[in-house]
Amino acid sequence: MNDRHIDVVIEPTRDHYEDIQLFTARGSWIKLALLLVVLVSLPLLLPGYRVFTLNYMAVFVIVGLGMNVLVGYTGQVSLGHAGFLAIGAYTMVLLMTRLAVPFPIALVMAGCVSAFFGFLLGLPALRLAGPYLAIATLGFGLAVTQIIGHSALFGGHMGLVVPDAMVGPFPLSGDVSKYYVIVGITFVLALGVRNLSVTRVGRAFRAIRDSEIAAATMGVDVAYYKTLSFAVSAALTGVAGGLLALMTGFISPGVFTFTLSLMFLAMVVFGGLSSITGAVLGSIVMGYLNLEMDAFQELPVLGPALEGFSARFMSTVGLPNFGWVVTGMLIVFTILLEPRGLYGLWIRALDTMKYSKSADAELSRSGSGAD
Amino acid sequence: MSFFAVDGLTMRFGGLTALDDVSFEVDQGMIFSIIGPNGSGKSTAFNCISGIYQPTAGKIYFEGEGISGLAPHHIARLGIARTFQNIELFSTETTIDNLMLGRHQHMHSGVWSGVAMLGRATSAAREETENRERVQWIIELLDLVQVRDRPVGELPYGTQKRVELARALAMEPKLLLVDEPSAGMNADERAEVAERMRELRAELGVTILLIEHHVQLAIGLADRVLALNFGKPIAQGAPEEIRQHPEVIKAYLGDG
Amino acid sequence: MLPQVLASGLSAGSIYALMALALVITYKTTEVPNFAQGDMAMVSAFIAYMFLTDFETGFIFAFGAALVFAFLLGVGFEVLLLRRMRKPTHLNLIIMTLGFTLALFGFAGWKWGADQRQFPFPVSANEVIRFGSVSISTLSVATILIAGILMLLVFAFFRFTKLGVAMQATQQDPIAARINGVPARAVVGLTFGISSVIGTVAALLTAPLITLDPTLMWDALLKGFAAAVLGGLNTPVGAVLGGYLLGVIENLFGAYISVEFKSVVAFLIIVIVLWFRPSGLFGRHHERKV
Ligand SMILES: Nc1ncnc2c1ncn2[C@@H]1O[C@H](COP(=O)(O)OP(=O)(O)O)[C@@H](O)[C@H]1O
Ligand SMILES: [Mg+2]
Repeated sequence: MNDRHIDVVIEPTRDHYEDIQLFTARGSWIKLALLLVVLVSLPLLLPGYRVFTLNYMAVFVIVGLGMNVLVGYTGQVSLGHAGFLAIGAYTMVLLMTRLAVPFPIALVMAGCVSAFFGFLLGLPALRLAGPYLAIATLGFGLAVTQIIGHSALFGGHMGLVVPDAMVGPFPLSGDVSKYYVIVGITFVLALGVRNLSVTRVGRAFRAIRDSEIAAATMGVDVAYYKTLSFAVSAALTGVAGGLLALMTGFISPGVFTFTLSLMFLAMVVFGGLSSITGAVLGSIVMGYLNLEMDAFQELPVLGPALEGFSARFMSTVGLPNFGWVVTGMLIVFTILLEPRGLYGLWIRALDTMKYSKSADAELSRSGSGAD
Repeated sequence: MSFFAVDGLTMRFGGLTALDDVSFEVDQGMIFSIIGPNGSGKSTAFNCISGIYQPTAGKIYFEGEGISGLAPHHIARLGIARTFQNIELFSTETTIDNLMLGRHQHMHSGVWSGVAMLGRATSAAREETENRERVQWIIELLDLVQVRDRPVGELPYGTQKRVELARALAMEPKLLLVDEPSAGMNADERAEVAERMRELRAELGVTILLIEHHVQLAIGLADRVLALNFGKPIAQGAPEEIRQHPEVIKAYLGDG
Repeated sequence: MLPQVLASGLSAGSIYALMALALVITYKTTEVPNFAQGDMAMVSAFIAYMFLTDFETGFIFAFGAALVFAFLLGVGFEVLLLRRMRKPTHLNLIIMTLGFTLALFGFAGWKWGADQRQFPFPVSANEVIRFGSVSISTLSVATILIAGILMLLVFAFFRFTKLGVAMQATQQDPIAARINGVPARAVVGLTFGISSVIGTVAALLTAPLITLDPTLMWDALLKGFAAAVLGGLNTPVGAVLGGYLLGVIENLFGAYISVEFKSVVAFLIIVIVLWFRPSGLFGRHHERKV
């Protein structure tokens, strides 16, 4: 095509950077500042043991970001992400114990090694789709824990104790100091994924999800971007694994189960596929449910009622399993009623609000017109 | 050597021969129409050219190079763009994002520069901004300003067809393959499509390979026409020859 | 040693084959890979257990009740949940079955706890019959026979009964089937019922071998999937063959190479097979038309 463009009236003042800018309006800076204030002050306001819960939820959020890249953007299924979490956790711990690598470098390496395995797992994804891919990734997740559980290097079924971590001269001893590291990293990674999603690579990922054939005819190397997506997703999950090791102080293959992989997949769907806000929300809720399975018993009125019901019809020892029922039901009803998940609900709420607001404005205008 | 040539192209699906020894040549700047009743193998020819199907036999040449056997994304990078008969848009994406995918091959940002897009001056941001500016005229040309930021899945059919054409143009192709641009349209809209094709060729100098079910439109626009029936080439030549060609008339009478 | 290993492989393979068959008949009809298959069967096995221990009924009554429950659970899952989805994409369907399985798993744990329970059964895993050099438990013999007979019945049902033929027609071409007066919706529900019953038979045969707890069918489900994928998700016969093949290979690997990594080998095979044949050993691949 030559450079002679057809004469058209060009909109004079469009600033194209606004399309992709991180914080567009003045209002979003205020929201960001608010969010930061909340994040910084949360551990100071909550009782100590809650900070552990926050850390756990933040780790889930990072996994959620990774799942969002793979499932939400690229449209590939994974039932094996607990495997990447394990790879990240073990890489970091082994580097720290065996080679005395400092924590920050070990954490980066955790992401890199996990990314490498993500790339390897991405290779079958080039030829497989839907249920076939699901099974292959599932097998991967199981294989990782099996291998870890049976090798002395990884501490076998007994697991490994995580050494004390330092960031420069500062030791990360308590939950609160770990909180600032973990949440800081989570925040930065979320911004990074958001940027990725609005630029060339993120767009190519989503193109593959919507139509592989059209993506290829646009010049997108589908094979390359599929494996890249697996690698990016695995890298994020590997970093999450390292941070999980940091916060719990102990890792064993029993942590990285198939159910955990299910949870990871479920939480991005529950939050809303292909939306970062959704992934974050879904991960927070599911992370909380996953850790605090018995939280329902502690609820003020419902707790005793639930206990009474359990004693009568179900069983009291089994009550902690109620959390699974709730998790499962949440997923089922999300898919049934609002396939876009929590994010979809949020959008709907906003739409309703906007609608009623503009209707209000409409009313008042017509009211004044009648004067 | 001609600009674009197909030599002995044959495509079989199991027992069905969708294309049977088809050959033609296209000169630069031409509008070349392929006509034929439904199921005569027109779309299959496009799929072979754009690398989606691997032809059973035959060769395809573009600017003197053999391109058959190349992967679709390689062919796209050589400067061949296309639209699809049954729209293949990225339906959850906005119009502008669909067009930006057309820019994919002209851009370079990778994972790192994308992640690190922290301000107007960073390389990924500059590249994004430049390319968005660059496709703005296409958006205006094809009358998509109103729907620039709407997800294309929710647009009406005719608009989606325009978005798809716009996306192909955003690739700045040398050769544009257009599959049934007027499918499902009424006479007025068809006239508009014809006008647009002429305009594109005249203003941009892009070579157009056009599939049209609507014979009058296809022949009216074309510099040269190929007629297929059951995968076989039954006639080829200047528009007025094709209009009177007995085989062509028979094929269409038989069809309808 | 080899015949012994083959016998164990056949017995394990029978369970995998049943699960694979259960998965494939629903997959063929609706393209849903049903991850809840295992836990539906597990809950049904608990129903049998409840009848046996709490109500002290006989085996026939308890197992019959479990199968009826399984049928209703399968039909209910399809009619009340799957069918009512707003956006039944592949991914959403997978997630729906995952959510349902988590809920069932939680329900079983809530109701029956995580204790490993001894499951009463007419024949025992410890009583051994000898065939020449091969010794095999009466439970394994029962498993091989029952699974074999059930699968033959299922295939006969699809081939020779009017209903079965109608169901197959729906699988192949729902629209044409509807035109010919097959009530497609009812057939889909029925398919889930039958599939759930097949899975439950597998669960009733697994429970006496290991113990009964909410994780009863995890391994069987995963291996059933592996077998189905190995054989081809679209071919019931292929999936059943895949099940037996997997059981035998797994036991060969365990006997001659490594017991520890026995359960990984299944997935290694899958990945290798899929690499060369993306639709399984016996499946057919479909290209998308554009
Ligand atoms: N991927 C495919 N697999 C099997 N048959 C195909 C495939 N693509 C096209 N065909 C068959 O090839 C023939 C030509 O189709 P097509 O090229 O779409 O025709 P047209 O575009 O001229 O209407 C048809 O009979 C069609 O069914
Ligand atoms: Mg066509």
